[in-house]
Amino acid sequence: MANYAMALNFQNCIDCRACESACKDENGVQLGADKHRLWVGMTEESIFGRPYVNFYPSQCNHCQDAPCVEVCPTGASYFADGGLVMVEQDKCILCKGCMEACPYNARFVDDKVVAVDKCTFCYDTRIARGETTTACQATCPTKVRLFGDLDSEDGELVKLLKERRFFVLKEKENTVPKLLYLVPEDENTAINSIGHDTKIYTWNEFKPLIEKATAKRRPQWETIK
Amino acid sequence: MGNNKIAGVHINQIKLKDFLLSKSMFLAYFLLALGLWGLFDVFSQRYFFSAINLHDIALNPDSKEVVNGLKEAITGDGGEVKREAPWTLYIVNYMYMIYSGSGIIFLVALAELLNIDIIKKTAAGFMSLGLAMIFGGLFTIAVDLNILHMHWMFLSPHFSAGMWLMLPLYMIYIPFVMFEIYLLITDRYDIAKKLAVPILLLSIVVDIIEYYIQARLFDMNVARHLWTTYPMLTVYFIISSFVASSGLMMLYSMITYKDSLKAELSDLLDFLVGIALYTMVILGAYEATAYLFIDKAWGGVMLFGKFKYYFFAYIITAVGIPFVILFRRTHSIFWITVASIFIICGAYLGRIMFVYGGNAFPMSDTFGTGFQKYAEYEPIKDYIFFSPHYSEVFIVLGSVGVVIVVYKIIESLFSVTKIHNH
Repeated sequence: MANYAMALNFQNCIDCRACESACKDENGVQLGADKHRLWVGMTEESIFGRPYVNFYPSQCNHCQDAPCVEVCPTGASYFADGGLVMVEQDKCILCKGCMEACPYNARFVDDKVVAVDKCTFCYDTRIARGETTTACQATCPTKVRLFGDLDSEDGELVKLLKERRFFVLKEKENTVPKLLYLVPEDENTAINSIGHDTKIYTWNEFKPLIEKATAKRRPQWETIK
Repeated sequence: MGNNKIAGVHINQIKLKDFLLSKSMFLAYFLLALGLWGLFDVFSQRYFFSAINLHDIALNPDSKEVVNGLKEAITGDGGEVKREAPWTLYIVNYMYMIYSGSGIIFLVALAELLNIDIIKKTAAGFMSLGLAMIFGGLFTIAVDLNILHMHWMFLSPHFSAGMWLMLPLYMIYIPFVMFEIYLLITDRYDIAKKLAVPILLLSIVVDIIEYYIQARLFDMNVARHLWTTYPMLTVYFIISSFVASSGLMMLYSMITYKDSLKAELSDLLDFLVGIALYTMVILGAYEATAYLFIDKAWGGVMLFGKFKYYFFAYIITAVGIPFVILFRRTHSIFWITVASIFIICGAYLGRIMFVYGGNAFPMSDTFGTGFQKYAEYEPIKDYIFFSPHYSEVFIVLGSVGVVIVVYKIIESLFSVTKIHNH
């Protein structure tokens, strides 16, 4: 069974939002500025009068130790095959507990179905139908995203992670997220776009962490509903 | 007004017309009407919101619904729930009503165990008030949830989730409190006497479990450090609830027992003022030291940031002013009323601080380089605060109506405010 994850070469992001549009189209996500499964965050700073902007593409981290699943009173949020965090919207009672628990603001209320919604890594719309990429990856003009399987040592994702250093978001929350952000190759960009106390990983350092978290959660992985 | 007797409890035969047309019920009708207005508004937002997706546009490009949905998507404010602050006034009110109601029940059980005579005489009335407040809180949370899917709480339980644990909790807690009230008003003294101590002990255990589950509900939100780093959250909930409960009990005593207790009213008030003073000191000390342990990002917003005026207003109204008034151990009805109103309002502000405070620090500093903005035209936020929608305020007022109706039904049928001497 695969353990899906995504690497993001975020320095390539040009904030075109093609990923957001593709996601809304592919997955039928509700329209609206605040209603998105993925987004491009932005910070604006200046150093010695020279302004610069960081673009941070993001979405659900499909955390191995997802707090949103822990707090859900009905099991609507669950760990699914492939290590995905999914929502069975029929069971959602709209308590909003998962939105409150998510450290990444990755969840929102879809007013069309009156339930919480979030990124599924396009599992139902693409991956389960034999596609190997998510809509956001397929549409990105600058190849920011790479979707793949962390269990496949020969897969493109692991090959990339073996070559590049990377980090995860809000590591201190111990959620073991699976959006893996590649450290920009340009040093200046890296300094300006990554917090100073961010832990940078190599694949050999990260592998035992993800394996440990996966071993703990794999028995809870359910068939996708 | 005649009465029937079932299991040793006298049940008043009341005329429906007299009950429905009483003065207090008119106040309840007004508040319930506001609640219904809020309910209608919330449900129209939730179930009839013009929400569309790209598939709708492709399939029905000319439909009016699509046009409205597009307008809403472009110019609307994004539906009922805000992504950044999903928990707002509903949770505040639910916390206030349920915790304070349970606090009253907890305090009464403690006082009975300690053989405080004046509380034993008035326990049934206090417990009925506590029970009515719990129903008011449950009304608020029921509106907050998607009621049409509530059956999944039974069909697909997640036993370790704090939110789910509330279901069995209140299914046990409410009948348990009803049984406690029964023991207080029944004339089967032999049974009541036998069961009194074990039931009171059990009641205290159940109360502590309740506060523990409530603390767990907040503590599970790993990213909201105000809640996860608050030292001994269960104890904090108990102490802060006792403060609110003492204020409510003082006000209730003056309204309810002014005539029936006469000279003993000052004993009752003196006892309640004592509880208020002790718990206010503990709460004040708690708030003064808790922020040494709370994550500095949240502490900064609360103590020195945009929330500081609200926070200090809370401390002054819930603890400062009432403490100064009550410290002289005054017996003046006027001053005790003033102090109790300050406590009641201040404690509510405290709940607002706790819930809104947990959301105050934005989650958007994901890369450690500063807060992000999610959209082109959105300002960068270094704190989050959403004023509640008017329908939320109406629901809160409606919940007060629920409290009045529930209390009035119990009082009319069982005369719980009658002074009991056993």
